[in-house]
Amino acid sequence: MDRDVLHIAGLTRRFGATVANDAVSLRVRPGEVVGLLGHNGAGKTTLVSQIVGLLRPDAGTIHVGGTDAVADPAGARRHVAMQPQAQAPIDGLTPRTAIEIAGRIRGLSNRDARAAATGLAEELDIAQWLDERALPEGRGLSGGIRRLTAFAMTVVAPTPLLVLDEPTNDIDASRRRLLWNAVRRRGDDGAGVLLVTHNVVEAERIVDDLVILNRGKVIASGSPAHLRGTHDGDLRLELELPPGGSDPTADARGLPVAPLRLVRTGRRVLMTVPASEAAPAVAWATALRTRNRLDGYSLGPTTLEDAYLALASRGSDDAAPHATTAPVPLEAPNV
Amino acid sequence: MSELPTATASTELGAAPRSMPDPVNVSPWTSYTTLLRWTLAQIGSLLPLVIIIQALLAAGIIIGFGFLIPDIDSATAMFLSTGAPTVLLLTIGLVIVPQGVSRARADGSFDYMRALPLARPLLFAADLTVWLIIALPSIAVAIVVGWLRYDLDFSFDWPLLIAAAVLVTVMATAVGYAIAVSLQPMLAQLVSQVLVFFVLLFSPITFAASQLPEWFQTVHDFLPLRPGADLLRAGLAADSFEASGRDLVVLVAWCIAGIVITVRALVRRR
Repeated sequence: MDRDVLHIAGLTRRFGATVANDAVSLRVRPGEVVGLLGHNGAGKTTLVSQIVGLLRPDAGTIHVGGTDAVADPAGARRHVAMQPQAQAPIDGLTPRTAIEIAGRIRGLSNRDARAAATGLAEELDIAQWLDERALPEGRGLSGGIRRLTAFAMTVVAPTPLLVLDEPTNDIDASRRRLLWNAVRRRGDDGAGVLLVTHNVVEAERIVDDLVILNRGKVIASGSPAHLRGTHDGDLRLELELPPGGSDPTADARGLPVAPLRLVRTGRRVLMTVPASEAAPAVAWATALRTRNRLDGYSLGPTTLEDAYLALASRGSDDAAPHATTAPVPLEAPNV
Repeated sequence: MSELPTATASTELGAAPRSMPDPVNVSPWTSYTTLLRWTLAQIGSLLPLVIIIQALLAAGIIIGFGFLIPDIDSATAMFLSTGAPTVLLLTIGLVIVPQGVSRARADGSFDYMRALPLARPLLFAADLTVWLIIALPSIAVAIVVGWLRYDLDFSFDWPLLIAAAVLVTVMATAVGYAIAVSLQPMLAQLVSQVLVFFVLLFSPITFAASQLPEWFQTVHDFLPLRPGADLLRAGLAADSFEASGRDLVVLVAWCIAGIVITVRALVRRR
């Protein structure tokens, strides 16, 4: 535990009758990027709010860089840089000034803060907006540039623990890639990173470990490969249902193969099948397509998203593993 | 650029990460001055607008209230004009400040600032400094309006004037802040609106306390409004009005109460 930059054990926090965090335990080691996944209301923001001393836990412990964050929240905050989900208050500032100010607050000299602002603008490709002023009511700078500025303000100085709450919201695809690389680089430089995100598919590439939170509880944790839980030979057949169309997988007897895992989210059905049985599965899907019972289908390698959706839906309605067919009551993750 | 291949290679080899970065260690003074820069940039753009509003409000009080009093004599005009600066300072502190704080609580910037690696009371210190910078010019604005309208001769007691102006502003800002951090945002807005009416119409700031019922005068002996106004008045027209030590004590007590409630709310975890 002494080596952990973040060590949370048995953390519980209630709001009235709702248990927002239920005996949550997790750890982040230096140099490690840990993804915290979970649908809306899973308790992710409640968790990070306790790390920086905005909320007080009802039970459990939080240690940040060895400092007891429950007993000494002000001391613990010196080990943390957090980018919350809300936009940073930068109205009246240019990204350059905002990043420099954040650097000064995090202990950089004036000169280092200036250099860091220029460097981060290059790293995140926002140099052309660096001297544009953010104005009230969202004028002046777009949401994406504001979000990237807030990210830069968080990572401007080396900090033992970075907590990033949905850092890719509003950001375009090419800059999201730059942001993910920047996060990975901070980890490689020795920081521990707790990354809260919905973006399972993109986060998978840069995280070392994942913790999946559902209704306040940790329902799974481990490396992406471990959580994916299937063999490299397994494939995923994704079916797209027409609007109002019935689910052809609803009755297991009609299936050509026994799926390893079955998840429905909105109008998409994700079936994990062994590679050896892909051919009959595709033939079955093609037949459904010709009868217009499907809008389309695709076959590809299994992803963490399948595992995540299966875990989250299993946690929601306690259905048997590998055979979840109920409509998934969760927001579809960004893909 | 030449570093890039090396860095990639070491990652691929799974080399141990570099040592963990050190925690933030910044002096309170650096935190304070940096916060001041941040807050000034955010509120600074409002400064011209605030001064215009203050000038209009001063004109409203000094000229408008003058119409209510037929054949206004110079003593009444002096009372009215020396009360106006207090009204302006109180409106900033009790109305504009809580609205800003309520907005910051609603849009998340209040918690953003509280999550920064610094002592949270510094957040209030920086805000207070900026509101002092914004509020103090309104005294000059009010005096100029009074002088233009009634051609009054002020007699300044500078040390008293400066002390009273700072105390009234700190009191109003601290109490306004305390209202905004203690009540739900909607309720805080409502309370601050009601306070404007109370300050303008039911407080002996622009008229003499003797015009109020006795029990209400006693109430005002313990509220910070009349004591603040009388101290400021004594600083503006030292020849006509006298400062009282009791008023000073009441004002300081309210300052302390506002600061204590605000700092507690900033530090406390929900």
